[in-house]
Amino acid sequence: MQKPPERMPLKNYRVLDLSRIWAGPYCTKLFADMGAEIIKMESLSVYDSHRGPVSPARGIAAYPDGEPGEEPWNRNGWFNCLHMSKYSVTLELTEAEGRRVFERLVSVSDVLIENFRQGSLERLGYTYEDLRKHRPDLIYVSMPAFGNTGPWKSYLGYGIGQEQLSGMAHMTGYRGEGPMKSGINHGDPITGSHAAGVLMAALRHRRKTGKGMYIDVSQQESSVALMGPEVLAYQMTGEEPERRGNRSGWYAPANSYPCAGEDRWVTIAATNEEQWQSLTQAMDADGLATDPRFSTLESRWENHDDLDKIISEWTIGQEAYEITHKLQDAGVPAGPVLRGPDLLQDVHYKDRGTFVTVDHPQVGPKQYPGIPWKMSATPGTVRWPSPTLGQHNRDVYGELLGLTGPEIDQLEQTGIIGTKPTGSRII
Amino acid sequence: MPGLLEGVKVLDLTHYIAGPYCTKLLSGLGADVVKIERLGEGDGVRWLGPFASHNHASGEGAEIPPGPPLRKGGSPAPEDGAWFLYLNTAKQSLALDLKSAEGRRVVLELAGKADILVENFAPGGMDSLGLSYAELKTANPALVVTSISNFGQTGPYRDWKASELNLYALGGLMNITGEPEQEPLKEGMPLAQLGAGQNAFAATMAALMYAEETGEGQQIDVSIAEYATNILENALMQFSYSGQEYSRVGNRGYGRAAWGIYPCQDGHVGIIAGPDQRWPEVARIMDREELSDPRFTSRAGRLEHADEVDAYMLPYLIDNNKVDIFKAGQESGLGFSFVATMKDILEMEQLLYRDYFVELDHPVAGKLTYPGAPITAEEGVDAWVFRRAPLLGEHTSLALNSWLGYSETQMSDLVQQGVIAQSNGV
Repeated sequence: MQKPPERMPLKNYRVLDLSRIWAGPYCTKLFADMGAEIIKMESLSVYDSHRGPVSPARGIAAYPDGEPGEEPWNRNGWFNCLHMSKYSVTLELTEAEGRRVFERLVSVSDVLIENFRQGSLERLGYTYEDLRKHRPDLIYVSMPAFGNTGPWKSYLGYGIGQEQLSGMAHMTGYRGEGPMKSGINHGDPITGSHAAGVLMAALRHRRKTGKGMYIDVSQQESSVALMGPEVLAYQMTGEEPERRGNRSGWYAPANSYPCAGEDRWVTIAATNEEQWQSLTQAMDADGLATDPRFSTLESRWENHDDLDKIISEWTIGQEAYEITHKLQDAGVPAGPVLRGPDLLQDVHYKDRGTFVTVDHPQVGPKQYPGIPWKMSATPGTVRWPSPTLGQHNRDVYGELLGLTGPEIDQLEQTGIIGTKPTGSRII
Repeated sequence: MPGLLEGVKVLDLTHYIAGPYCTKLLSGLGADVVKIERLGEGDGVRWLGPFASHNHASGEGAEIPPGPPLRKGGSPAPEDGAWFLYLNTAKQSLALDLKSAEGRRVVLELAGKADILVENFAPGGMDSLGLSYAELKTANPALVVTSISNFGQTGPYRDWKASELNLYALGGLMNITGEPEQEPLKEGMPLAQLGAGQNAFAATMAALMYAEETGEGQQIDVSIAEYATNILENALMQFSYSGQEYSRVGNRGYGRAAWGIYPCQDGHVGIIAGPDQRWPEVARIMDREELSDPRFTSRAGRLEHADEVDAYMLPYLIDNNKVDIFKAGQESGLGFSFVATMKDILEMEQLLYRDYFVELDHPVAGKLTYPGAPITAEEGVDAWVFRRAPLLGEHTSLALNSWLGYSETQMSDLVQQGVIAQSNGV
């Protein structure tokens, strides 16, 4: 195993990470970014389904050039962007010898985190009480979809479902049309980020009191927490929130407008009178500033359709970045709708090192989203690429737990650890 | 115990959405959060409605006035806007003129006592107030300074202006949301700002732990647009790996069929046709023999015939209500969902069973039901505290006295000089 980084906030903490897909792994990604030692544990029969199927069809874009290769589970970009700077081990918890190893690993870990379906770990014989016998001050983070209690506790939930059950999808959509899902599984990173911050508070609490803690995460509650203002608004007005497309509930104009090129768009918002005046000047549309339909914020809001038509006529022949620069120079909020290639080439993100190039042994150098914030004293860095399945079995079981070579060989021979999957369910 | 972060002092110079959500999580966990607000006007988000007093003034069921739910700037600041009330629970409000020399001195003195300072002025805003990181560090070398801004403290777009819409566009989330033949769409909630606030909270906690161990503070630079680029999952990765662009797919999952939002009798539901081996369950629930057609048994087959699959599912969906469909799926081990309205959320049996909501009484807004802790920490620990948002300047004297030991005389001098103000209550 590698020496811990010298100056990182969480370098003294070890997290035994049984979480899968995105919500849990995003939490531990943020921990890895802050220098924590993350031991991601998977089963060879049920590995993290973000690694993709054992034998995927060719042509799926998540693999380098659509080519799954001999070990596709190690070549999936979706998985590989979430597990950089983590260790990977495999273990079969259904086997007695696997359970003994697991318990030893628990005894040297500060945190255990899982986002199985509710009760899964308990069915394997591990309640929080059981786990604490091996590590009395363990912090156990359990994050099933709806929490560990209540009538829905055994229900399944994915990020797309949490968008809906939290009310986020209810508010998203074109005007006059139905609700719309986001382009991502938005519930997942919301839960992962909340969990990361609260877990740090729990570690700090343990540092002060010596006491561990059981953290019961309902992914749904975590998402509803971001809906608070609308939950209050509903009680105040008795009205459900409207779907506004890209418009604002408070100011106008605000929308996306077509630009030169195929599926190219620019977003423009004038959030106050000054920005509105600047917009009319930048558009070089003198009549606009004095047009009575648009003279006040209220009237612009009411005549938004007319205003959108006029602005679209101005944007449609121009390039999105060009309009953005013109408006930003005039102090008007604007921005192009960036697509994948645009993001990776954008001068601002390049300047800030938002995306980092990481060389993965089975993939080669590719660009990944980096650490999502910057810190002056402990900047941090991606320490190594996403691990291949079971890559660190020998390091963790040998170096960390002190198992001998023959003992590890025995685990391999009996299929309790390994690097080749024996099957995997895919959702 | 009153919160996991009891005793942690936070000087809160945030306003609007991203910064206040970060400090709401800190105050929720019991940190002592003192929010500096502009004299008279307070946090700009106070002026964004809707407002509770609309109903109070005009009686139950009164018509909402036409136009955007805003109040004009000036004084006194509204106390009962939905956004301010939610984003500022359990904080204290200190009304102070940051632009005055005395105001700056007081803030530097507070920074000397604080563990954490969070701000979300435009980059350079703190410098122009004479509160640059260098100055704060001199006042308190262990201070964690968290700066949240649209594009970050560096880079060519540093000084660009942006609303949520523009951040969503530049962050890459917008391009992948919406129908392929229509314009790209932002989500209805400002999730870029709120999410960046969440990440700022995690970053702040990490830096606090480091500062407590080493005595060394630091500055954290959180960019809202950059936050968005961090959560694009496969939409970014598949381009990086294979050069294939991700496109908008409307309400269907990317590369999936029978996986997305569908209309039903009383609203909309989320159908998730789980792994292939569970497809017969979907067909059984929908009660359509045609769905058992071998052409539909694999994910690839369903994708190829997606419209046909939808057409066979629709009659069942239109005949049934969202909760029944949700439960029919869940009881068969399928991760179905439904599109909840605000009313649905407030009445949701699972949330009520778990005592998720808290009722807070506010002198202007009255009693309202608030979403509670985003995450529950158990085992004999009261991890979270729940208190209503402050009135503007409600805690001016309390904070100056408890943090700095200011006397009544010192404070009334500052009031007379127009540096601070106290709420007279309501």
